[in-house]
Amino acid sequence: MDSALERALRLLVSGDPLLVSIIVVTLKMTLFSSCTALLLGAPYGVLLASARFPGRRVLILLNRTLMGLPPVVCGLLCYMLFSGVGPLRALKLLFTVAGMVVAQVLLISPIVAGSMETALSPLVGNIRESARGLGLSRGKTFLLTLNESKYALVSSYLLGFGRAMAEVGAVSMVGGAIAYKTNVMTTAIMMYTNMGDFSYALALGVLLLIISLAVNVLAHLLQRSVGI
Amino acid sequence: MTKRICLVVLSVLLAFATFGCAKQQAAVATASDATPVSIQAEPEVSAAPMTTDSLGIKILLEQDADMMNNYTVIAVNDAAPFKDADGKAVSGVAINTVGAKALVDWLMSSKAADLIANYGVDEYGEALFTLKEDKPTSTAVIPQATDATKTIRLSTTTSVNDSGLLDALLPVFESEYGYTVEVSSAGTGKAIAAATMGNADLILVHSKSQEETFVADGYAKLLDGYSSERLTFMYNYFVLIGPVDDPAKCAEAGSVKEAFARIAAGKYPFVSRGDQSGTHTKEVSLWPESLGITTDPASVAAYSEWYLSSNAGMGVCLIMANEMDGYILSDKATFLAFEASGGAVG
Repeated sequence: MDSALERALRLLVSGDPLLVSIIVVTLKMTLFSSCTALLLGAPYGVLLASARFPGRRVLILLNRTLMGLPPVVCGLLCYMLFSGVGPLRALKLLFTVAGMVVAQVLLISPIVAGSMETALSPLVGNIRESARGLGLSRGKTFLLTLNESKYALVSSYLLGFGRAMAEVGAVSMVGGAIAYKTNVMTTAIMMYTNMGDFSYALALGVLLLIISLAVNVLAHLLQRSVGI
Repeated sequence: MTKRICLVVLSVLLAFATFGCAKQQAAVATASDATPVSIQAEPEVSAAPMTTDSLGIKILLEQDADMMNNYTVIAVNDAAPFKDADGKAVSGVAINTVGAKALVDWLMSSKAADLIANYGVDEYGEALFTLKEDKPTSTAVIPQATDATKTIRLSTTTSVNDSGLLDALLPVFESEYGYTVEVSSAGTGKAIAAATMGNADLILVHSKSQEETFVADGYAKLLDGYSSERLTFMYNYFVLIGPVDDPAKCAEAGSVKEAFARIAAGKYPFVSRGDQSGTHTKEVSLWPESLGITTDPASVAAYSEWYLSSNAGMGVCLIMANEMDGYILSDKATFLAFEASGGAVG
């Protein structure tokens, strides 16, 4: 009997169409959801950290609560909404990649926002002081804050990316793990583990880590090259 | 600015390169590629608890009439009394009845019958499913898919999906008639629940009582040319799996009910799916009635020293049984696949 690792390696290099489809769907879902979550969550996080308005504390508290939203609950919620009898059934999002992205964005945006807020809060005082000294307008101060948050932006994105790729509870409910359509790495790993087919599951696990490594290497290069 | 755009482009390219590596490996499958792989995989290998050469569990009892496992296909009624989460009636739920009928007609055709009857012979040396002698048959002309009827949503149980039967059947149907069958699998309870929420066009399940409730509640559709909503067309047997040395002497018990009585009497470890699946429903029906075991977890609370209600899939439960030298009821297809893979990472 071959070792699992050997079988995993052979599987990885076999170009199996099912494996290729799983990887493509995973990348599509992860990239779409992490980028959308960044676009929504990052400005919101910057706003929470830098702007001063009534209700800000409540919003921060609310956001931190949402950061702890269990993925299965989010999945269940989306499942009920998009279901054939649900209020949003006309959108036809159940068992589609788009539906999975929606669930992921709901889950990840608060995490990105919270991460940005945490990273920026200590800097805000200094930024505001310099801005006042330079006589900058409020809009320009916001842009300056954004500029100062480059490093946090990259790490927040990575956090979101990691969460999106590693997510299983929500995507298995909303996506249904349909082969060639919505089956992603994590749901496939679950599925093959349940079947006792460990080598396939392990091969996918190895590949998941490789992709994650590649993304992190990229982000590292990015952070270094923009000098942050 | 240009620098940043370049970086974004570069990152997208690299993401695709990663994917490309998996696809056309020949060029990159060299030692240099293997090194990071082995580093990445190390924690998983060391975390794997069992690298035994052979399995500690085997099939002890099979082919018992009490362990017969009937599979039924039911088309979902497009005019069913669908309700939303608050119990309010919902109308206009989209159900692809034409597609469901096409698939049902095909499953009942002689072509599908041949494929089912021979499934598993090549891989395991025996057929995994047997056709019912009184199964419905169809010679209806199956229409080609149109844009409106193309996607068929099939909700089924994990055991059917895990056996690989659908992978052998559906591509034949799809390529001949142009449909796309989207298969989602869950335990029978959840598979049926998905259909009552309007998320399936037909179901393929194996739990008679739950099927009958589904029909009685008005969710099933009587298709033209059939005499019943429930179309039971194939079966296989559950098997009783246990430790190779069989301390409870189940193999000599004669019947599965006697074997279960021996396990309970001797308090030998037993792994239950505990997830309301068809396998779980079958298992609770095999215990001596005096124990009062039902699918309700509270009913087994008193037996927790030997009865393990795991709430997990078949493969995971088999691994548990193998680990703890326990007994377990399994569908045969999953166990054969499990056995073929060595039961573990080894």
